[in-house]
Amino acid sequence: MKFNIYRYNPEADKKPYVKEYELDNVEPGTMLLAALLRIKDEQDETLSFRRSCGEGVCGSDGMNINGVNGLACITSTDDLKQPVEIKPLPGLPVIRDLIIDMDQFYKQYRAVKPYLIVNDPMPEVELKQTPEQREQLDGLYECVLCACCSTACPSFWWNPDKFLGPAALLQASRFIEDSRDQAFEKRLENLEGPFKLFRCHTIMNCVQVCPKGLNPTKAIGKIKNKMVTRSL
Amino acid sequence: MSLYVLEGLRPWVIQRVSAVYIVLFIVYAVLCFFTAETIAYTSWKSWLYDPFNTTVVGIFVIALLFHVWIGMRDVILDYVHNIMLRIFILAMLVGILIGCGLWVFRILLLSVVG
Repeated sequence: MKFNIYRYNPEADKKPYVKEYELDNVEPGTMLLAALLRIKDEQDETLSFRRSCGEGVCGSDGMNINGVNGLACITSTDDLKQPVEIKPLPGLPVIRDLIIDMDQFYKQYRAVKPYLIVNDPMPEVELKQTPEQREQLDGLYECVLCACCSTACPSFWWNPDKFLGPAALLQASRFIEDSRDQAFEKRLENLEGPFKLFRCHTIMNCVQVCPKGLNPTKAIGKIKNKMVTRSL
Repeated sequence: MSLYVLEGLRPWVIQRVSAVYIVLFIVYAVLCFFTAETIAYTSWKSWLYDPFNTTVVGIFVIALLFHVWIGMRDVILDYVHNIMLRIFILAMLVGILIGCGLWVFRILLLSVVG
């Protein structure tokens, strides 16, 4: 199986280049991460990429695979056209090879205050929800922050410092929808302005690439609807 | 008036509302065109002389100008990152759109007066 992998070591290389690799005896059902680990073990130990859980839970191994962002650990090599073109997630600075600098991504994540804000004194037992209230969080809480969505979003490419991006906005929606949160008004106020939320032009690349099958565009639409309802 | 440059929600709502009005007007205008007895300058002028048509065309022009302004503003906010250049292009755009609006309203006024 053939792979063309983006390589760049800023300490040694003047500019990025693509290196070809070939793996023999790739068994059916092999995940891309396993193939990359084999390349690293058997052919080139300098190849750098992030990975951890290996089963699509930690979100570490996001990369651009044949032009589409995804997690290498849950992408089967059976479905990939050869040679498999592997690049780092686009739109963020490359630290080395497939490792990107995610500071900007996390900065936008922190900007939406991704935690429950409760002003009342905390109860002695847990903050309870009805099953219906809990259901509102389905499709929002499952995000693993792999950055596949935000780095596939042209609006995030053009304004990564101002537009929060689909991942952060999905998290914003997750706390706006949460019945236990008491900062509903403040959260909506925080998203006002031309950039933070309204750079989303419903391109829907985020929906296409989300490895967890989530729909940030729908979540962003729900936030917009809540802002309209609130302003009326 | 900020012309919504620094706002998010209001221009977004205006863009959608104006889009709906523009679509409805286009349907009405096309229907009028195809049901007209004659296609000539005089018949167009008498169509425009009708107070209802003057009003809906006037609203259409306003809706179109706002729609173009917000759409172009979005493109400029997306792609033009130099603040001075952005202000310059936005100012040029405002000038052009106001000029277009005044021109259309002159035509409307002349069609009503004349």
